[in-house]
Amino acid sequence: MSDGQPLLEVENLTTTFSTEDGTLTAVDGVDFSVDTGETVCIVGESGSGKTVATESITKIINTPPGKIEGTVRYKGRDLLSIPGSELRQIRGNEIAHIFQNPQEAMNHCYTVGWQITEALQIHQDVSDEEARTKAVDLMDRVGIANASSRFDDYPHEFSGGQKQRIMIAMALVGDPDLLIADEPTTALDVTVQAQILELLDDLQDEYGMGILFVTHDLGVVAQIADRIVVMYAGKVMERGNVLDIFDNPTHPYTQQLLECLPEFGGTGGGIPGTLPDPHDPPDGCRFAPRCEYAEEACRTGEQPEEVEIEPGQWVSCVHYGPGGDPSVIGGEEFGIAGDTGAADGDSEVGPADD
Amino acid sequence: MGFGRYVTARVLWAGVVSLIITTITFLLLSAAPNPDVQRAATQAALQGGDPAEAVERARELRGLDEPLYVRYFDFVQGVYTLDWGWSSSRSQPVIEAVGNALYYTAQYSIPWTILTVILGPLVGVYSAANMYSWRDHAATGFAFFGYAIPNFFFGIILLLIFGVWLEVIPIVYNTDVAVFSVENAIQLAIPVFVLVTGSIGAVMRVSRNESAEFQNADFMKTAKAKGVSPLRAYAYHVMRPTLVPLSTTLVGQLLALFLGSSLLVEVVFGIPGLGRLTFEALLSQDTNLVLGTTLFFTFVAVVGNLIEDLVFTVLDPRISYDDR
Amino acid sequence: MATEGSERFDQVDWSDLSRSGRFDLSINSIGMLLTTLPLALLAVYDTQFIGDRTPTFEFIGLDRTFEAVDFFFIFTLFLAFWYLVLPLYQNPRMTRYYWKEFRRNRPAVVSMVWLGIVFVGGIIGPLVMSAPQQELLVAYQPPVFTSVVESTPATCVGEVMNGRCHGTWEYPLGTTNAGRDVFTMIVYGMTISMQIAFITTTIVATIGITFGTLSAYSGGWVDEIMMRFVDIILSFPTFLMFLLILYIYGGGLGMFIVVFSLFAWGGTARYVRSKSLSISEEEFIKASRISGASTYQVIRGHVVPNVASSIITQLTLLIPGFLLFEAQLAFLGVGDSTVPSWGQLISAGRSDLSYAPWIVLAPGIVLFLTILAFNFLGDALLDALNPEAEAESE
Repeated sequence: MSDGQPLLEVENLTTTFSTEDGTLTAVDGVDFSVDTGETVCIVGESGSGKTVATESITKIINTPPGKIEGTVRYKGRDLLSIPGSELRQIRGNEIAHIFQNPQEAMNHCYTVGWQITEALQIHQDVSDEEARTKAVDLMDRVGIANASSRFDDYPHEFSGGQKQRIMIAMALVGDPDLLIADEPTTALDVTVQAQILELLDDLQDEYGMGILFVTHDLGVVAQIADRIVVMYAGKVMERGNVLDIFDNPTHPYTQQLLECLPEFGGTGGGIPGTLPDPHDPPDGCRFAPRCEYAEEACRTGEQPEEVEIEPGQWVSCVHYGPGGDPSVIGGEEFGIAGDTGAADGDSEVGPADD
Repeated sequence: MGFGRYVTARVLWAGVVSLIITTITFLLLSAAPNPDVQRAATQAALQGGDPAEAVERARELRGLDEPLYVRYFDFVQGVYTLDWGWSSSRSQPVIEAVGNALYYTAQYSIPWTILTVILGPLVGVYSAANMYSWRDHAATGFAFFGYAIPNFFFGIILLLIFGVWLEVIPIVYNTDVAVFSVENAIQLAIPVFVLVTGSIGAVMRVSRNESAEFQNADFMKTAKAKGVSPLRAYAYHVMRPTLVPLSTTLVGQLLALFLGSSLLVEVVFGIPGLGRLTFEALLSQDTNLVLGTTLFFTFVAVVGNLIEDLVFTVLDPRISYDDR
Repeated sequence: MATEGSERFDQVDWSDLSRSGRFDLSINSIGMLLTTLPLALLAVYDTQFIGDRTPTFEFIGLDRTFEAVDFFFIFTLFLAFWYLVLPLYQNPRMTRYYWKEFRRNRPAVVSMVWLGIVFVGGIIGPLVMSAPQQELLVAYQPPVFTSVVESTPATCVGEVMNGRCHGTWEYPLGTTNAGRDVFTMIVYGMTISMQIAFITTTIVATIGITFGTLSAYSGGWVDEIMMRFVDIILSFPTFLMFLLILYIYGGGLGMFIVVFSLFAWGGTARYVRSKSLSISEEEFIKASRISGASTYQVIRGHVVPNVASSIITQLTLLIPGFLLFEAQLAFLGVGDSTVPSWGQLISAGRSDLSYAPWIVLAPGIVLFLTILAFNFLGDALLDALNPEAEAESE
């Protein structure tokens, strides 16, 4: 963990949507934090509430129908309770977003230059000339060739990977302290994906930003993350240092996620079963219906309290809680999970360099 | 390739269309017995003369004894050199009569067009932003009312209410008042209102439905994440893409009303514009004037369609000129 | 409204494709033939054997003359019955599904009821009500429940109280300056409106579908020329050209219907062409072509069912334009003044507007409601028939 105050601290974040079929809870009491200069990855299957969680931070999701509760402290200020105009001053200027699909995330009617400089024009008192110079520099920095001549091109004149580079330039134009990247590489092919990740990594060193990175791809996590947050059905299952968790995944869900990865010796198959209905989540642990270690205690009451099983590594599982028996969870492939403190027996997990 | 070539091709095509319509007009005219010639024959018969001889003379006078192709070339040349003949009922050249009438038509057409172009998209986008609220329902109701009520009928009713019963507007259009005067504004208010009601409905519906799609687009999320205020987001990110499909509806609606209903509205309100000129030419059997006014409206249609195409292409950056 | 649209309701007859070349007559076609035959005979009898001024039905003692428009109208009614109404009955499951979708849109249901009244009134009305007669003595009667100053009507049929003449049920919507009953005239106007609606849509659909599919299947420069032609049709100022035609040739309702339908099929043709092109790319068409289906069968079996719903919607939204044009022409006084349309009635009442507003108001409101109903109906059909368009239009 960091010393002093974290850059972003999310506590008990809950986002609900009122729909025709009743209230839908997309994010349910989530805690995590991001420090300056570190990369935190939110992992989970599609539909587990990762995107909604990140978009709740600066209230990008539409309210109503959405309703956001809890606290989101950014540099000590609670973003959920400050007035809208102040929040707008933070968005795009201090906290920037990159979205999954660069194709759709850009307005097809404006030049990329216009769209990159828009945030500058809104937040900072700059002349058109200065804005243009800065945007061209950034386009150059993110790897667009002939940046100054491409400034006046329209999004459809760029390829998918180039569009995502433009999106990154658009996000960085206000020199943000926190970058929220929502699956920025999912829509791209693998080679481009690697380039974009590398670019983000370089830019992070250069700008000293905190990055909150959403992905369902554990390969990407291994490449960039400092810490990870594993989400399932709107709840955090496990969070902690990436090396600790990859070495010693304690929650059955984390274990199964890792098992899916061929490079971690997994079978490559999916986790059996599907996500629960968000209108009517199961009692007890959200993952219980798909968990091979689920017992009666897992299926009653609320999601179990998070337990710190190692410094900085928190897990929400009945078996680690009071009265639980961690040895129930078999960790054939990941060492003896029950044996807290000794998580070194696994040689299959590769080093998570970043 | 290139915008210039595209525009050139489009303009040439518009020229071809106008020529085709001119040709059809000529064929229509030459296939039927000329009303003027018939009148001459009737007159001769009534006065005890020889109808056949009168017909011969009348045909000669109008050059109808020439071969068809000669008459066709003369006709086409006349149309394109703006030599549209002499209006017998108004005792002036047709082109001059059209010019005079245009002065009055423009006085209500310009405010009508401006109001439709500004209000239609604004109300539509506002409606989409407040979807399913009572404001949205009210706007939708107004839109349906506007394009369902026949303009001439609506005009008659408003004239009855405001002109006859309340006496706030003059019943007879006064041509003596200055163009930019309160009196002129008052007497044109109801005709402009009637026409705006007619043209704005479809514009509102289309802009509402299109912007409903854009306001939930991903790029709106991007804009929000940049810290764009809701007002700016609607003004730039929703309105601008909405204008692309809307341009077609906008020009189309204005054109359709201009070519149909404005004629009726002029007749109802007694505005001595192009519509009324056409109507009076029909009543007084003034062939040259009928031809001149219909050709004028036809060319407006051709130019309007051209503008519609060009505006659409200019507005949508994704259109490549090779495709069309 | 469109007869060609029936196949959407009719389930696609897949076995049709295997029976290549043979022409099987369905119950619908047999019914169509059986009913059209007497109509054709009657038309021949009317044009060949009896004089122009002799009523068509003199031989059974009815004083009713049929014009070409009437024959064609009845023909389109037969088409609508055998290929639109009957298939709905034959496929109750499909009908129930459409009805369920449609019912959710309340304005559209009300519109449907209103159009049903206009339709039935237009068909039955002239048969049971005698044509309005000129009766100068009862001129300017006010509608029922209203009253005018005693001096307005020639003689007051209803009660006179405090110097005001009250309307009676004898003339529910009042009378015109010639003493004709406004209600009867509106009912007669329904016939005209329905004739315009049915005949124009039949012509537009026929030409549009034929032209569109031909263009799509010809391809190449033929297609290019055909589509350029559609461009011209679409940019043609029909209303003004029709004024010119009226000026040169004159013409009645028949001429109106022919000219306006001849210039209204551009959009339908363009749509059918693009749809045919995209459908012919699909796998099942390739499959049926390989198995020996002819172009006619492909069009009838696949293209028409796929475009039918959209065409019905398009046509529904075209009809109000026709009704409006007819009313406008009638109002200008350049239409056929013997045709008892709503526009004629509005035109006739205009000079009496300040003291007998009902003569203009009654037909004007009926015209407004009818146009409104067609618009609502078109909107609802758009939603019911194209579920994917629902999000866009609502």
